[in-house]
Formats: sequence, structure tokens, C-alpha cells
Amino acid sequence: MQAALRVDKASKTYRSSNRQPFKAVNQVSLEIQSGQIYGLLGPNGAGKSTLIGMISGAAKPDPETGAIEIFGHSVINDREAAKRLLGIVPQEIVVEPAFTVEEVLYYFSGMYGVPSRERGPRIKAALDSLGLLDKLNEKARTLSGGMKRRLMIAKAILHQPKLLILDEPTAGVDVALRQRIWELVRELNRSGTTIIFTTHYLEEAEQLCESMTVINKGQVIKQGRVRDIQQEFSQNLISFELFDRDVEHLPGVRAIGTMFEYVYSDLSVDMSRILAHYSGNIKTIHNESASLEKVFLELTEGKA
Amino acid sequence: MTYMWALYAREVKRFRKLLLDTIFSPIVSMVLYLAVFGVVTANKSIGDISFLAFIYTGLLGMILVNSGFSNPGFALIIAKNLGAIVDLQVTPIKSWQIGIAYALAALTRGVFTLCLAVLLTIWFIPGIHLYHPLMLIAVVVISGLQYGMLGVVFGMWARGFEALTFVTTFVLQPMIFLAGVFYPITNLPAPWNTISAFNPVHHTINLFRYSFIGYTDTPLAVSWAFVLTVSVIFFVLMNWMCIKKLNEPVQ
Repeated sequence: MQAALRVDKASKTYRSSNRQPFKAVNQVSLEIQSGQIYGLLGPNGAGKSTLIGMISGAAKPDPETGAIEIFGHSVINDREAAKRLLGIVPQEIVVEPAFTVEEVLYYFSGMYGVPSRERGPRIKAALDSLGLLDKLNEKARTLSGGMKRRLMIAKAILHQPKLLILDEPTAGVDVALRQRIWELVRELNRSGTTIIFTTHYLEEAEQLCESMTVINKGQVIKQGRVRDIQQEFSQNLISFELFDRDVEHLPGVRAIGTMFEYVYSDLSVDMSRILAHYSGNIKTIHNESASLEKVFLELTEGKA
Repeated sequence: MTYMWALYAREVKRFRKLLLDTIFSPIVSMVLYLAVFGVVTANKSIGDISFLAFIYTGLLGMILVNSGFSNPGFALIIAKNLGAIVDLQVTPIKSWQIGIAYALAALTRGVFTLCLAVLLTIWFIPGIHLYHPLMLIAVVVISGLQYGMLGVVFGMWARGFEALTFVTTFVLQPMIFLAGVFYPITNLPAPWNTISAFNPVHHTINLFRYSFIGYTDTPLAVSWAFVLTVSVIFFVLMNWMCIKKLNEPVQ
């Protein structure tokens, strides 16, 4: 199967005001198969948006970059063909104040080559699926934050891209809208669109994505199937909660939020040791599956 | 090509939504100039041409240059301020096509403003007639595009309104005032007459005025050579600037 996106050793260096080079993305490689919903995770400043900028054509990769290809089309040497296959929902909400919702979508889809006779029906269908149809003739600037976010999504899907990148599309939206966006993402994916999803809400990645890449300080620090990564991090972990936290702890026990964790080598032996040491002080104890949030924290804080 | 025309249509729509600023404001300025000069220069002439007709055609040429420069210049700065420049970066339009779409929109605005200005004011200019209509069309199209491309260059280059206003005030306006809009450049003392002879705006105004009223103060062949050469230079500059600026995240 052809890769929807292939990034080979992508790098991007910026020069700061004092001319010191800063590598925002350093030798990042990833390959996303067609038909996936793929998560791109990382803390603020990790390099996600720069990487997306390089994929979408908004940032020129360093010359030593191996390749960035969308369905086999190089974004460096075959830019227009690659861009035609890509839809992007940027992190920043951007609306043209002079235009109505319909005008924004009409001209933007035209800039992707959608014939004028097809634009009207596509605009109505997209707005309908996003619950914005009644705003068709309103000025885009008068929409609420959540509506503007939906408008951004509508802009990105009108030309029916084969690869859709959503850069934190649910930032600042309410729970109901978030669910709606998730549903739309699944629907688009079912219709054959490959989706890359960056988010700070880790439950989103957990809910939506099959595979993911975690980036920190411009480098890939973990890559693989979400379930595999979770399993990897939950293999040797006993998690427990105490009534009284201020007690002498066993060596190797560490506090994670309100919980304590212990990496075991033999489950029954170590579980018995913990039960014996803390005895009646234990509120809950289990051998848990690591949440993605925990995996993310461990990876980005360098504990993995 | 649908891609480029959609961008062109969007930019035309944009200035149509702001008619007061984009179309009527330069016409009002022109009428004020005419009112003042009409009183001061009544009964004066340059050869067979009335001084008012001389200034009138210069002012029309100035509208074309100003509209051409301002339309893409300010549209691009607004797009950068809003973050909407990303629309140009992600859509599959070639860099030169982006520049040309903006320049064509500038030309459209220039033609629209020019037609309206002529329609509203030509009745007050005695004895004026159209000397060379075909040449006028050629000059308007080439010059409108030329200054549209220059507007794209500075719109892409400038980081904010201040930088673009600086260029307008300290580069474009002096060029316009040294272009022979209000007087023949041959009347200027040295070195200003020499500087004016190398001023591309002068050659645009000269061709425009000739095709309108048949008056020229620089040989036509020289002016055509200047206008065409400068147009090619502006196109190359525009393409280079678009490639450079659209490939980097906007700061």
C-alpha cells in the first residue's frame, strides 16, 4: 500500500535574532499508511507545527532533508501536485473579516481548483455536517470561536483531500463540539481520507488514533501503534493510592499526581511486598494499563 | 488556472467591498488637486495643450500607479497581520501565479477607478479628446500590472503597515512627484530633470498622457523601452519575493 505521507530525515533550522541557529525539527522520519488516523503528539514547542509547516509548504525544509512526500508527490519538487492532495486545518483561527462564510469557502475552494459549479453544493454539504449551514451568509468575523474553528475545518475539506492534517482542531471548543469534530474525523476517515491529528488532549489521540509519533525538542522520541506503546509502558507497573501519603515509601516507589507507582519485576512478589508495607493505608491498588497521558509525560519528561 | 483566477476573484471582491477607500478616496483626492490647480492655472497652457488637461492626464496616471501599488501591498499586509497568508502558502498555486493574481486585481481596481474618475471629471476639462485609444489600453494594462507587481514585491517584503507606509511616503510619492505629473520634466533644473528621466513612473505618465492628449516630453520609444524593461524586472523581482516569502513561516 502506498504511504499517504513519507517523511525522511526532515530538518528545519531557524536563525534567531542573534543569528544562533535553532533546529526546530531535527532528522524526523515517519511514514503514515493510507487510511489511518495518525496522532502527532508533543508538548508546546516540540516542533509539531514546524513539521506540519514543512509538509504543507509553509516552511521550506533544510537542504539535507531526505524527502517529504504526499502519496508519492514530493512537497519540495512537485509542490502543487502534493498540495492538491492535502487539506490543512491550522492551529491559529484565521478568518477574512471582509467576507461572509460562503465567500470564504467559495474562493478558498477555488484556490484548490474546485470548479465553480461544484462549489455551492460542496459548501452546503460541509457546513451542514459541521452545523454551520444557517451561518452561510453571515460575516465570518461575527462567528463565535467554536464556529470559526468549524469554518476552518470546512475550508480544509471542501476540495476533498486524500490527506487531512488537523493541528489541534479541538483547542478551545466545548465538549459537545469536540465530540462532533471527532465524529466528523471518523466519518472522513471512513470515506477514505487519511488523517493526521495533533492535539494536547491526549484522550483524543487515545480515542481516535491507531498509531502515533511523539516529538520532543524537534526529535522523534516514540513511534508506533497507540496500543503497543500503551502496553509497553504498562508492562511492569503497579499503581496504588494511599489514605495517608506522608509515610515512609519503599525504594522505587514514585508519586504520580495523587497516585504512586512501582515498576515490578515479579508481579505476585512485588504486589505482596507493597501490600505488606502499606497494609491498611492502601485505598486502591492495581496493575494498570498506562494511559496515553502517562506515556506522554514519561516520554516528554525523559523518564522512558 | 482555476486556482489563480479564484485568488484574483477574491482580491477583486475584497476591493469591491471597500469601495469608499479603494475607489472613491483616490477620486476625491484627484478632484481636490484639480479644483486647486484649476483655479491657479486657468488660462495657462503648454504648447497647444491647456495646463489643466496636462495635469488632468498626469493625475489619472497617478491614480493608476497608486491603485496598482496599494491594492496588493495592503491586501498582503492585512493577510499577514491576520495570519491569512497561510492560505497562499498551502494552496496549490505557483508563486508567480499568486503574484500575477494580485497584480491583475490591482489592474482591475486601477481600471475601475480610472473609468469612474474619467466619467465624473472629464466634463470639467475643456477641449480634451482621446488621442490614441489603443495605445491607452496598452499603457493602462501594462502599467496597472507593473505597479501591481511592485505592490506585491513590497507587500511580501514588508513586515507591517509601517514598512509599507514608509515605502509609499518616501519612495513611491517622491517618484510620482518627480514623474512630471504636474509639470513637464524638461522644466526642472538639473539634476532633477536627469533623475526624472530615469524615473520609471515618469515614462508611465508620459505614455499615458501621450495616448490621452498627444503630448509627450520624452521620446515615446524611450518611454516604451523603460516601461517594458521595468515590467520584466518587476516580474522577476515579484516571483523571487513570492518564492522567498511564501516558503517561510510568517513572523
